[in-house]
Amino acid sequence: MIEYAVFFFFAAVAVIFAFVVILHRNTVVSALSLVASLFALAVMYVLLEAPFLAALQVIIYAGAIMVLFLFVIMLLNLQKMREEPTRPIQQFLGYAGSAAFGIALVYYISKYAVMQSPVGPFIADARTIGITLFEAYIFPFEMVSILLLAAIVGALVLSARGVQSS
Amino acid sequence: MIPTQWFLILSAILFAIGVCGVLTRKNGITIFMSIELMVNAVNLTFLAYARQFHQLHGLIFVFFVMAIAAAEAAVGLAIFISLFHHRETIDVDEANLMRW
Repeated sequence: MIEYAVFFFFAAVAVIFAFVVILHRNTVVSALSLVASLFALAVMYVLLEAPFLAALQVIIYAGAIMVLFLFVIMLLNLQKMREEPTRPIQQFLGYAGSAAFGIALVYYISKYAVMQSPVGPFIADARTIGITLFEAYIFPFEMVSILLLAAIVGALVLSARGVQSS
Repeated sequence: MIPTQWFLILSAILFAIGVCGVLTRKNGITIFMSIELMVNAVNLTFLAYARQFHQLHGLIFVFFVMAIAAAEAAVGLAIFISLFHHRETIDVDEANLMRW
């Protein structure tokens, strides 16, 4: 019973803060709301019996990525910047289209996504994930490391200003 | 045990909120945060199905999605810094050089 209460509370937190992210004019408030929403999603991961990924979510997303966002917002001094509102027709089409999309998704999920679960316990601790990652998925893992290296080089090249190649 | 469908419905709602943010905002950083919201909704779907079918592959995919989201955030924010240096704005309507 307690896990249902936890689910509904943190689902409400995630949805409300997600709305704050897209509706608030101040970018810093948006970023901090996104942190709160990601924390609520980490609680969802714990409810889904994946505590290792919940820890990764808090460390990587709420920690590293959102610190990067806040750092860029502060660096560019964006919190005082005024944002032009989008055209009314674009506002209307955006809200109506995404609402219709969301309602259709919820409808089809609740109608058709009925499935049988295999019997037996589901073990997803750090040990089993690590064994799977380093045995079956070792090649994609190495590819991700190369991708991260490319991202570091790309970010450095893009954000370097006024540095001419000698 | 909470039904898998509830997680899928929560994920669908979060994804629709992210779509709405991308379509209605002009601030580049806010659009980027909406994309992160959508990525997280998809991660929740992966984990819900992983628990439903007792498959570890969904969890591994979430791991890779997190790594790629980190790379994407680094490069994307670098692009916005560069745009800000050239145009003094991060309004995505101002970045129209390659627009048809």
